[in-house]
Amino acid sequence: MNRRPLWISLILILSLAWGSAAAMLGAGWEPKLGLDLQGGFSVVLAAPEGIDRPVLDQAVETMRSRIENLGAVQEPEISVQGDRRILVQLPGVEDRERALAAVGTTGQLSFRPVYDIQVISPAFLDGTLPLPESLAATTTTAPPGDGGNETTTTTTTTTTTTEPPVIPDDIDPETGLSLDDDPTKNVYLQDDGGLFYALGPAFLTGADMTGAEPGFSGVGIGSGGGWTVDPAFTAEGGTKFEEATAILSTFPSGTPGRQMAIVLDGSVISAPQIAESVGFGEALPSDSVVITLGTSDDAQQEAEDLATVLRYGALPTTFERESEGSVSASLGSDSLRAGLYAGGAGLLLVALALIAYYRALGVIAVLGFTVFGSLLMGTIVLLSRTQGTTLTLAGVTGIIVSIGITADSYIVFFERIKEEHRRGRALRPAVDYGFKRAFHTIVTADTVTMVGSVLLWLLAIGPVKGFALTLGLATVVDVVVAYYFTRPAAQLMVRSRLGEGGALSIRGAMGRPATGGVAT
Amino acid sequence: MSLWRNLYRGETEFDFVRHRRRFFLISATLIGISLLSLLVRGLDGSVDFTGGAIVESPNQAEVDVAEYRSELASIGREGARVQIRTERDQSETVVIQTEALSVADRNELVNTVAAVAGVDTNDVNINSVGPTFGSEITRRAIEALLIFLVVVAGFITWRFEWKMAAGALAALFHDLIITAGIYSIVGFEVTPATVIAILTILGYSLYDTVVVFDKITENVHELGTRHTFTEIANLSMNQVLMRSLNTSLTSLLPIGSLLLVGSYLLGAATLREFALALFIGIAAGTYSSIFVASPLLTEWKEREPEWQRMQRRVARRSGETVLTAVEAASASATEARSTGATPRAPKKRSQRR
Repeated sequence: MNRRPLWISLILILSLAWGSAAAMLGAGWEPKLGLDLQGGFSVVLAAPEGIDRPVLDQAVETMRSRIENLGAVQEPEISVQGDRRILVQLPGVEDRERALAAVGTTGQLSFRPVYDIQVISPAFLDGTLPLPESLAATTTTAPPGDGGNETTTTTTTTTTTTEPPVIPDDIDPETGLSLDDDPTKNVYLQDDGGLFYALGPAFLTGADMTGAEPGFSGVGIGSGGGWTVDPAFTAEGGTKFEEATAILSTFPSGTPGRQMAIVLDGSVISAPQIAESVGFGEALPSDSVVITLGTSDDAQQEAEDLATVLRYGALPTTFERESEGSVSASLGSDSLRAGLYAGGAGLLLVALALIAYYRALGVIAVLGFTVFGSLLMGTIVLLSRTQGTTLTLAGVTGIIVSIGITADSYIVFFERIKEEHRRGRALRPAVDYGFKRAFHTIVTADTVTMVGSVLLWLLAIGPVKGFALTLGLATVVDVVVAYYFTRPAAQLMVRSRLGEGGALSIRGAMGRPATGGVAT
Repeated sequence: MSLWRNLYRGETEFDFVRHRRRFFLISATLIGISLLSLLVRGLDGSVDFTGGAIVESPNQAEVDVAEYRSELASIGREGARVQIRTERDQSETVVIQTEALSVADRNELVNTVAAVAGVDTNDVNINSVGPTFGSEITRRAIEALLIFLVVVAGFITWRFEWKMAAGALAALFHDLIITAGIYSIVGFEVTPATVIAILTILGYSLYDTVVVFDKITENVHELGTRHTFTEIANLSMNQVLMRSLNTSLTSLLPIGSLLLVGSYLLGAATLREFALALFIGIAAGTYSSIFVASPLLTEWKEREPEWQRMQRRVARRSGETVLTAVEAASASATEARSTGATPRAPKKRSQRR
């Protein structure tokens, strides 16, 4: 048998495993620890007084879905506290604001007709509100040199001051903005650029949507393209959208009436205009609508976050942040240390037992543990750095348990060698043939576990998801180590002096004298 | 020859199948007791499942989490979750979550916390808290589990046969019910860690059973023309016995160490609950793969006409002889010698799939 491929496989996997372990230690990369081990960030979100419990429960589920969609497995802890508060705890500190935005953003989306767009709130211009002194000055100076206009404005102001209209209590008298974004009413809202909009009742809201995908588009409706969110409507929502665009397209091009404002949580995100080419009274197909957010780097994240919020729906109520702060680990370093010591002691015992029982083959198993451990930790650290996966105490214990699972692969193999040898095969064929049969068993058994963990990972939520990830990884690494490490190591060992010589050799572990086997 | 030598050489001759009814009785009794306890006493869910009380107090004394935990343990609340929250203004608040409390317990807890934190009892706030491992997570986990079982059953049916899938699932439920039963009988608190541990058992139990069935399938192909299913099942179990024992040993060693070193010597209560569930589950898993799954499969297979005919043939042929590991080994050794002892490719197994 040609030994070269065996050596190559052995050297490659050893350098990969030990090399990556050394690199991680050298670079100081560690897996991110979960809430229970390292603590994190805690915020209490308070809903308005008198909220119903089912509404809070629904909000908790929406928040959880949004968080889980942000990173792979962040394992947040979200619970209802008291009768109107939600306690959110997130591990780690990176991207804290983004995570908090994902939990706290109400996510009320509406598509509204635009009545007017001004540099001050149109509420001051259409007579809904008296013009405050500070703004009156700017308006009067706005068109300079036109005496007539100045007089008119002054007159209007005087009129409104002398006969004060009933100030609607849902509008801020200072800024002229609506206090809440009620989709059934006319509202005055602002966009990021400081423009003020007078908007009509919503054509449709987030409830008419089934999902949203982030994307990048060359051309968006009425703008130059950039990062977009592509919403998908329900059948009813699609009809509403088409009816709305049919109305808007009756307005002449260039007027605000031809624009449709997209409003999220009381702020106008964009107000695209129906393209000029769309004829009078013609409807836009609802599957072609995109929300354009611009081309900046932030816009990409904004698009992704907005899509997340839209996909999992609006929170049923608004929340206010209360008592924010960082929280300590609930278990503390003593538990982690206890877990690691216990794991170390357990590993040592397993190693001793395997060496005592299988002699030289046991040494292969122990070396195999280091390969298994390095590869598993490497993958976890990698996932932790790229996906934000965190390791909780349950995860640490899961890794300790996987020692047992990988030890089993060695035992299946070694017992198989013994059995083949007992049946009269010489030592070398017993190892070669034994591996073939044992690998079949190992793959079958690992597949069952892997299928389980993939399903759990896809379907479950919360801590179960994190567990499934660790377990699934362990089974994959187990198969890889069995094929690329254990097989070449055992085949090389049986052909070396360690194969035949004395009580410590492989033959020594076979439980029968060397003469019992039949040499080829 | 001592039992140990026989075990070491894989030459034991235990007749597992003959006493199967006895094992079934033992398992049935255990399952019965477990189910009864689960129905009557139920499980004691931790604050993560049931919700409970949340106690907040300024941490005036600036003591650490461990200090609070040991003080809480002394009033019987070692299950409580303790965190210290650092507010924006750098002041510290201790946050303790525990199960729902009676008035007396509540006062005791408030007094203890106030004493440790060095504040007046009036500064300690107490509020209710909902579950973090809520009904939605539980529901999704159960759904995932059911789909998992269907897929695994499909996989085993495809790789082996449907009767083996049924046997494996029976062994699985056996392990899960007994583990849950012990939790219910002893009154251990069920935490999310316990749920994870039980899921681990699930994977473990299946793994164990699949290894035994793999061996049975292989032996059926090699010896199925000369021996009854009972004989083959017995032989297979004797052959994998050392593997099962060794595997259980190597799995129980780290968990036992977790239990002993982690929880008793170093005092990490969370580890104890987790390790205990695993310990019980893996022990049950080893037992069930040998004493439940395979005997159940044998019971079933022996009723097939094919294997009934084999039974009659073997009885006619040799009266009382039973296939033993030694006999099988020498039989295959003879076979191996005659073919020059070179490794042969495993027989094509397509006809059985």
